[in-house]
Amino acid sequence: MKWVPADIEMYLQAAEYVDTAIIPLLPIDLEDGMKDSATKTEFATLLSGFLERQFRGRVILMPGIPYQKGMEDNVLPQLEEWNKSLGKVSLRHVFFITSDLAWKQREDKIGGNLLWVPSLPLQQMDERSKTAALEDQAAQLMSLFAQKWEESDTV
Amino acid sequence: MSKNRVSRRQFLNYTLTGVGGFMAAGMLMPMVRFAVDPVLKANAAGDFTATKLNVDKITKEPQRVDFTFEQKDAWYESEVTNTAWVYKNDEGKIVALSPVCKHLGCVVAWNTDKNNPNRFFCPCHFGLYEKDGMNVKGTPPLAPLDEYPYKVKDGILYLGKAKPRKEA
Ligand code: FES
Repeated sequence: MKWVPADIEMYLQAAEYVDTAIIPLLPIDLEDGMKDSATKTEFATLLSGFLERQFRGRVILMPGIPYQKGMEDNVLPQLEEWNKSLGKVSLRHVFFITSDLAWKQREDKIGGNLLWVPSLPLQQMDERSKTAALEDQAAQLMSLFAQKWEESDTV
Repeated sequence: MSKNRVSRRQFLNYTLTGVGGFMAAGMLMPMVRFAVDPVLKANAAGDFTATKLNVDKITKEPQRVDFTFEQKDAWYESEVTNTAWVYKNDEGKIVALSPVCKHLGCVVAWNTDKNNPNRFFCPCHFGLYEKDGMNVKGTPPLAPLDEYPYKVKDGILYLGKAKPRKEA
């Protein structure tokens, strides 16, 4: 489900089936890394969208969190907050999806699950190989989701 | 000297006309959409889309077929990829099932759960469907998978818009 009224209506009726939130972390670099940060933002956005389509009955895809490069440490407490508040409404699995390496280095401080995926040069690909590449990456993430769910469902 | 000054009344007049203009535009836009919509619908939904699948490559084992078409949304066109699970049933008839779980809309796949071979499996809440798309009682889905109408032209499979089926 996405953060749009129609999906939220569905969520409100089926909340007991929805226990997972996806939050894309989207870097914005206003200096030399402008294009690189745009690539990473696009990639994390596409990937999250793909996952939402696969798992739309159990997952809410939140609007992504944009942040300026270099400000990651200021954003960290926010992520913990999200983790806590979402947990309170029974969204007990929180996945932060990003292509920005800065988060990989802070993984243990994030609290939720960090899914760091290196971005691909989508710009140089045609439509078909783009989809194939995305699906490839997504398939790995999907098994991670399934694994987390299985662990928690069997408890 | 005060000729060019805008009086309070004029000022209100200007601003309110401005706001009114916006509101009028807001009312007009939906109407334009109504006028245009039927055209969009005719070529987006009514037609069959060619898949890349040759009909003699269809076996009794469901295979995943992706097909892409242009979809016109309110204000932009986009390429949409749909998926179907395609196979021939025991009578030799082609069956094309939608992968969208009838519970809450996750994507199901054929034969992916070890404990339930030869069934469609939904990873979200472990929904199950038989090969013919019928939902398995006791799992969350309450209806069978939607089915695509199909056509065969020059040996190629064409799929229409998936439709719900009657319950088991
Ligand atoms: S969405 Fe498929 S079982 Fe719930």
